[in-house]
Amino acid sequence: MEGLKLSMEGIEVAYNSDIVVLNDVAVTGRPGEVTGIIGPNGAGKSTVLKTFFGLLRPRKGSITLGDQDITRQKAFQRALEGIAFVPQHRSVFADLSVRDNLLLGCWPFRRDKKRVARAIESVFDEFPVLAERPNAAASSLSGGQQRFLEIARALVIDPKVILLDEPTAMIAPKISKEIYALTRSLADRGATILLVDQNVRSCAEIADRLYILELGRNKAEGTREDFASDDKLREMVSEWMNYKIDA
Amino acid sequence: MNELLLQGLVNGIILGTIYALIGLSLNVIFGVLRVVNFAHGEFIILGAYGAYFAQKLLGLSPFLAMPLIFLAFAAMGYGLYFVLIKRLAKSDDPEHASLLVMFGVAIALGALMLIFFEADSRSLSYTLDPPFFMFGSVIVPTAKLVALGIIVVITAVLAFFLYRTLPGKALRAIIMNRDAVQIVGVNLERMSALTFGLGLGLAGITGVLVALIFPAFSPFIGQDYTLIGFIVIVLGGLGHPVGAVVGGIIFGLTEQTALVYTSGTTATLLGFLLLIGVILVRPTGLFGREALK
Ligand SMILES: Nc1ncnc2c1ncn2[C@@H]1O[C@H](COP(=O)(O)OP(=O)(O)OP(=O)(O)O)[C@@H](O)[C@H]1O
Ligand SMILES: [Mg+2]
Repeated sequence: MEGLKLSMEGIEVAYNSDIVVLNDVAVTGRPGEVTGIIGPNGAGKSTVLKTFFGLLRPRKGSITLGDQDITRQKAFQRALEGIAFVPQHRSVFADLSVRDNLLLGCWPFRRDKKRVARAIESVFDEFPVLAERPNAAASSLSGGQQRFLEIARALVIDPKVILLDEPTAMIAPKISKEIYALTRSLADRGATILLVDQNVRSCAEIADRLYILELGRNKAEGTREDFASDDKLREMVSEWMNYKIDA
Repeated sequence: MNELLLQGLVNGIILGTIYALIGLSLNVIFGVLRVVNFAHGEFIILGAYGAYFAQKLLGLSPFLAMPLIFLAFAAMGYGLYFVLIKRLAKSDDPEHASLLVMFGVAIALGALMLIFFEADSRSLSYTLDPPFFMFGSVIVPTAKLVALGIIVVITAVLAFFLYRTLPGKALRAIIMNRDAVQIVGVNLERMSALTFGLGLGLAGITGVLVALIFPAFSPFIGQDYTLIGFIVIVLGGLGHPVGAVVGGIIFGLTEQTALVYTSGTTATLLGFLLLIGVILVRPTGLFGREALK
């Protein structure tokens, strides 16, 4: 797994042409690192990930992957470039089997049968729960299993960058822990991870770097060490969450 | 069993498969593009004229014309997607906007056909030997049997495509979760254009079949088929391929058995009553789940 730097610069995004939800936002994810994006509800965290993936078109600003400008690229092209996205809301194809969901994940290289077979095999190795029921309809899986399926489907392309939007929301604590461990290990294997999370404490535990967004703007950023040592940063976080980050 | 009723049932099944084909294409278009193709009936009639002129000008039999008309209509649909439908996605309410735009296309197409093809009813001239088969006391015209065979083959090919091939699964995945399909790198725009092409291609074929089994057609009857299509997909469930097939056959059976006992108007009325009944009991249609959302 080899990561690529992904960054946005001076990004402005508006829904329905009028309501500006991102205003001059800059976020960078680096290979081998988990970059956490936190902030209150409606701050624009999901919008940042959607914009990175090309589902939303910025009105201003630029997005670069490695040293390539991908601002104008569409979502399917970015998938081809190795950006994977696990969105906030359920994204499995409910009536399709586990295997078909994964096969669709291989869409960008579907004609390379050998690579498809290898990719499916390798995610089945990583997710034994899925390997046990390859023919089950995705809708018949538990919530946690569906989340694993979404993550597995993102991993089949052997992504350089993985965008995760609240992967542990509404997931049982035990499974959440596995998801955090997996996230960390993907970064340790070299991938670039951008993690949006409401669970500030857990996010801060595995993140190398944190961005705080508020009302569609950058509010603060820093490495994990910065957040642990800088009182102002810690204060800022505790303002909108009821607890402080343990140093 | 009453002979007339038996005849009605046989007719019902055969016409039902045509209705199923109409519903199927409408449903695939709606499911993937979220576009209500109000002009479907007009495209069907255009397909009928396609067969008529292929015969008159080129001397092609309707059966040979069918694959050509499919290809021509598919190309037209692919192009129309980029000219017309793609823009709808930018509007604030694509579904309603599509309704109006396609309604406009229906009127325009109907008027154009009237201008170019004139108001006279047309029919295909062909001979099949024997012209009909007797099953006991039930008479079935050969043309209807051939149409039935063609529809069964088309439906089987379509089912294979949708349920057994990866592009077909991708197409169904769009119906299941439109947002998520972009996540796996499917080019939604291209898929949508291909789907509209497929839908119009099927409309063209339906038109040839209609021209084969009904005595005549004219530019005025497009809306009838659109209406039947809508009844079928609401019966079966919006956006659901299997639902459309079942809905089509149910509607065909209801209409044709009702025709045995009553007039055509009452039969149509019964079809609508059936529709209202289903809506009351199961607002999402027989197979629909959350397709309406
Ligand atoms: N499709 C949309 N149309 C219009 N406005 C939207 C749309 N999606 C999001 N918004 C608005 O954009 C802003 C940012 O939304 P976003 O989903 O990015 O926030 P978030 O930080 O991810 O919040 P949450 O923690 O609730 O997931 C919010 O004010 C939201 O209401
Ligand atoms: Mg969000």
